[in-house]
Amino acid sequence: MRSGHGFLALFTITVAVVATLLAFVAFKVPVAQPEAGGLAQKIFYFHVPSAYAMYLSGAVCFVASAAYLLKLSERWNAWAHAAAECAALFGIIVLTSGPLWAKKAWGVYWTWDPRLTTSLLSCLIYIALVLLRTFGGAGEAERKFAAALGVLGTVNLPIIHYSVRKWGGNHPVVITKGGGGLGNDDMKLTLTVGFVAFTLLAVLLLWQRMRAHWLSSRVRLVEERALDLGLVKES
Amino acid sequence: MQSTQSSASVPTDRATEFRPVEGGPNTTSAEALLIAAYFVLWALLFRFVLVSHRRQQVLTVRLDELERRLETNARSEP
Repeated sequence: MRSGHGFLALFTITVAVVATLLAFVAFKVPVAQPEAGGLAQKIFYFHVPSAYAMYLSGAVCFVASAAYLLKLSERWNAWAHAAAECAALFGIIVLTSGPLWAKKAWGVYWTWDPRLTTSLLSCLIYIALVLLRTFGGAGEAERKFAAALGVLGTVNLPIIHYSVRKWGGNHPVVITKGGGGLGNDDMKLTLTVGFVAFTLLAVLLLWQRMRAHWLSSRVRLVEERALDLGLVKES
Repeated sequence: MQSTQSSASVPTDRATEFRPVEGGPNTTSAEALLIAAYFVLWALLFRFVLVSHRRQQVLTVRLDELERRLETNARSEP
């Protein structure tokens, strides 16, 4: 019951912050210069936070997968599964919003830039992980394999982050010093709201998916007991 | 005849390489791209939440039913 109230509170706060972000993007933040995509640059305020949410979910996937390999607990398995799904979701958002913005700023939807390529690779790893966990069976061997992939797949995340500094490419460095695009206080404020909104969204989705997987594992256990007692038929 | 031969080699080049027109007019509408990006974002998020919520509901119903059967069975046992 307390968990349900906590979830509802988190949901309400998330909706409020996301609504604030949308209002800021629509009315507060100015349109960027044409070289940055003009009006299309407003995609930036959820494109970058989505990438950050993918990193966050990937980090949770790494920790939960490693913990599952050490303890083999159902709860860690549920967290790892949920985190892989969220990382794949945010990765898909990054890889659809980015090209739409790039079309206006760079003139092309896609280029094999180091950051884009490594982001695509990470997204594919998480999609593969979700497919493996969904269709690969629920045996311990499959779970261990998925957990190992969850640990190894996360290695690519720091590579995405540093690829733009090490290998250059079209993708700008905007957030940290050395690159520039946020020369306006409203832009900085809106991006900060974007980060808060996507952190809350990531936590909310992780929590919801974890509960679903945890519930699913409980159903499996109870089903096995009921099958042993002949209370249900095997489907 | 010669013009046919020379034009025959052009599609091969065209099919293997696309280049953006540097400095040319960018006709893609920023509004359309922005709307498309926001639509994709919210469509994905809502679908994800909706599917997850429905799945949880199905699992909760199934769990309640199984627990009820187990409880009934435990009560009926001597």
